[in-house]
Amino acid sequence: MKFSFFHLMPYPYLPDDFDTAYDSTALTYPNANFDPALGSALYARYLDELEYADQLGFDGIAVNEHHQSAYGLMPSPNLMAAALTRRTSRARIMVLGNAIGIRGNPLRVAEEIAMLDLMSGGRIDSGFVRGIGWEYFGHSINPVKSRSRFNEAHDLIIKAWTSPELFSWYGDNYEYRYVNLWPRPLQQPHPPIYIPGAGSTETMKFCAERKYTYMSVYAPTRIVRRWFDGYRQAAADLGYVPDPERIAFSVPIYVADTDERAHAEGRRVIEWLYHKGLKQTPQMVTPPGYMSPGSLRGVLSSGMRGLGVSTYEDLLASGQAVVGSPASVADRLGTLYAELGGFGQLIGLFAIGPSTHEQVMRSTELFATEVMPVLRPLGVKAEASA
Amino acid sequence: MAEAAPAEEFIELTGGRVHLLRGGTGEPVLFLHAAGGAGVWHPFHQALADAGFEVLAPDHPGFGKSDEFTEVDAIDDLVYHYLDVMDALGVARPHVVGASFGGWIAAELAVHSPHRIGSLTLLSAAGLRIPEHPVTDIFLLPPAKLIATLYHDPPAVPLTASPDAPPDLDAVIAAYRESTSLARFSWVPYLSDPKLERRLPRISAPTLVVAPSDDRLIPVEHARRYAARIPGARYAEVPDCGHAMYFERPAEFAAEVTAFLSAHPLAAAESGASR
Repeated sequence: MKFSFFHLMPYPYLPDDFDTAYDSTALTYPNANFDPALGSALYARYLDELEYADQLGFDGIAVNEHHQSAYGLMPSPNLMAAALTRRTSRARIMVLGNAIGIRGNPLRVAEEIAMLDLMSGGRIDSGFVRGIGWEYFGHSINPVKSRSRFNEAHDLIIKAWTSPELFSWYGDNYEYRYVNLWPRPLQQPHPPIYIPGAGSTETMKFCAERKYTYMSVYAPTRIVRRWFDGYRQAAADLGYVPDPERIAFSVPIYVADTDERAHAEGRRVIEWLYHKGLKQTPQMVTPPGYMSPGSLRGVLSSGMRGLGVSTYEDLLASGQAVVGSPASVADRLGTLYAELGGFGQLIGLFAIGPSTHEQVMRSTELFATEVMPVLRPLGVKAEASA
Repeated sequence: MAEAAPAEEFIELTGGRVHLLRGGTGEPVLFLHAAGGAGVWHPFHQALADAGFEVLAPDHPGFGKSDEFTEVDAIDDLVYHYLDVMDALGVARPHVVGASFGGWIAAELAVHSPHRIGSLTLLSAAGLRIPEHPVTDIFLLPPAKLIATLYHDPPAVPLTASPDAPPDLDAVIAAYRESTSLARFSWVPYLSDPKLERRLPRISAPTLVVAPSDDRLIPVEHARRYAARIPGARYAEVPDCGHAMYFERPAEFAAEVTAFLSAHPLAAAESGASR
């Protein structure tokens, strides 16, 4: 099992009347509520936490991209990754990912990831995401084109990284007469790719065909199981068994010295994430064309509930958060491992809400020293199937 | 009075099938529906038919029962699409009436091919970019606020099923499909073509611009701008009415439109005595 520490970099200082006064932490949530002095301190703190995870022996430290939101303060994950290249030395630096569906110029992403790969000595993992619904409003990108833009940007970036000669690109969304990447990435043929999946069979097939890592997003275990099985089936259809490392389970985790203390502190953190951080209207979640009618039908009939209506207890029971003492967390993750049919990477969201720096550092340390050793033997590729 | 039920038909084009409602006899009126009006034969349409016109009401690509026409994904594609529809229907120079989103298409059609338009009626048309009077973002409005935005006097009884009723999955999917089709043409620039305004002087047909007095979606300034830029256009306002227009004030809208159409027979337009 490989472990990574994923930082969402939230802005946790919401007003007391947030629940009644605002639809969301994103898009229309007034930026007058952002205090630059607090924000500056948060960035310093959050980078310290990522660097600490590197020192503790996490295999990866992860950042992501979100726009116009208190949910996550990283409009540019590549800037954060750049800061990490100079202050860490062991962990892989995971950009999970660049939102290539909403980027105006995907060639810029190819360039920046290549730079990061060189700066980090080949430690970059490159995730690609479409960007979430509200970001299509916020960056004025037509959500109807989301899938098409994502696919084309992906193809262009891979070709830019791997082509040893200048080429031209003529697509539905982008046209370049001169693509001639300087610099090229250090890892060959290119940095490993991570793609989050949320049930689309098209994405499962896309990842299986390219042997990309398929990672889950917030959802109950029974639904994530369906996704992972879909990915495994897509690989089977192509005639291979995927390396467990190509399947990554991501989940919010909070560890404290005792169960009692963990729940006393963790409840507020998990509730912040699901009830405040992720609060949004249906229109923001699913702008027109963001999903195909068939996918929307699938989601609506799957019985998935809005995140905001799940209680803390529901979230724990459904595997959407893991909270407890080191022993309880190891035990619970072992159970989820079995319920999900196995996975080879665990992406833990350790800094997700109004937890203090001390709480995050302690949770991360307990996880690294007491939980990781227990789970480490799981999810390793069997020699026989190598 | 003419038959109340319109004929339903499909036109076969290269890119797919267009669903069309046809009612009445007389001079042809091509009616281009609003974002929410596909496949609706409203008392307003019947009033036009009753006034002696043949109303031809197609569903836009990706709306109602029309096919997607996936290659039709910008406003200029819609113009060529409707030239194809007119050719397939055999109407050389019809009256063209467009409401809201359909009004935008009608205006674009008229600047592209002024000679194909017998008369032009724009009912609170989208299409202009007036930054100081922005169009409300309908894509972000929850359903309850949408109703309050569309009506001067929002109906007490919701038009849709009660919130307690289980959601009708097919209806949700159908609405999402139409919303997707609208977004295809209008996400950005939002419900407008920044070049349209300066092209409006190309329009040569007699034109009527009608605005509801209390339009909370497309500010009345848009209709006034259309009227100011289209040569010789007549401007009318229907009082105590919201963007829902003929859904809120059917008789008043029908009266304005039928009076205008009757005053501008196509034969006169053909002879060049249109205004």
